[in-house]
Amino acid sequence: MTPSEGAQLKNRIRKLRFEHGEMTQQELADRIGAARQTIIALEAGKYAPSLLLAFRLAKAFGVKTEDVFQWDGE
Amino acid sequence: MNDRIPLAPLQKFAWYNLIVFAIAVVAYAIAVPLLAAHFHKTLAAASLPSFGMFGVTGLWGFGSLICDRRKLDERESLINQRAMIAGMFLFWQVWVLSCMGVWAYLSYARHQDVVPVTLLPILVFAGGIIYVVTQAIAILIQYKRSAADDTV
Repeated sequence: MTPSEGAQLKNRIRKLRFEHGEMTQQELADRIGAARQTIIALEAGKYAPSLLLAFRLAKAFGVKTEDVFQWDGE
Repeated sequence: MNDRIPLAPLQKFAWYNLIVFAIAVVAYAIAVPLLAAHFHKTLAAASLPSFGMFGVTGLWGFGSLICDRRKLDERESLINQRAMIAGMFLFWQVWVLSCMGVWAYLSYARHQDVVPVTLLPILVFAGGIIYVVTQAIAILIQYKRSAADDTV
């Protein structure tokens, strides 16, 4: 992922975690089958996930994918 | 959140490889003067047989017990793939250059027409070490660069 791509892809993972009973990064990582470092990188906007991982994240929060990720590019 | 983030298995794998390499380097550094003193050789003459100390790097084989690379998530797989590419790139560059270097040194400096065949496995072995060490460093750099507190 290039820095410009990271800047364009915003996400609400951190906010959604706190809205879902202050879920820890490790709990979320376990739910979606990823490493905690991956959650950290996602929240920091330093990693753009695959479509599959994006859907897994949305499912973990019980929301639509576009409620988790927003693309502010042109 | 101030809790310390535990190392991911791939990070542990990289650190393990670097520690084994460091042990091999220390063993080599100790072996050269010891062999030179024991067999009454120069340090330069003792440096080649002392290279056997890098056999310690065989411990890298236990790395798969630290990290099962089939269980990496997609980002970690990407990190691992990039690290392997970096390792292979540097291995190839160094290997080609060292092969040319050995040939150039022996033919021009020592006027030797034949390259000793014993040098070839040493060059391949050294290339393998370069590959693993580069891969380990590339893994750690990529984890560091994608950490939340990193500004790179």
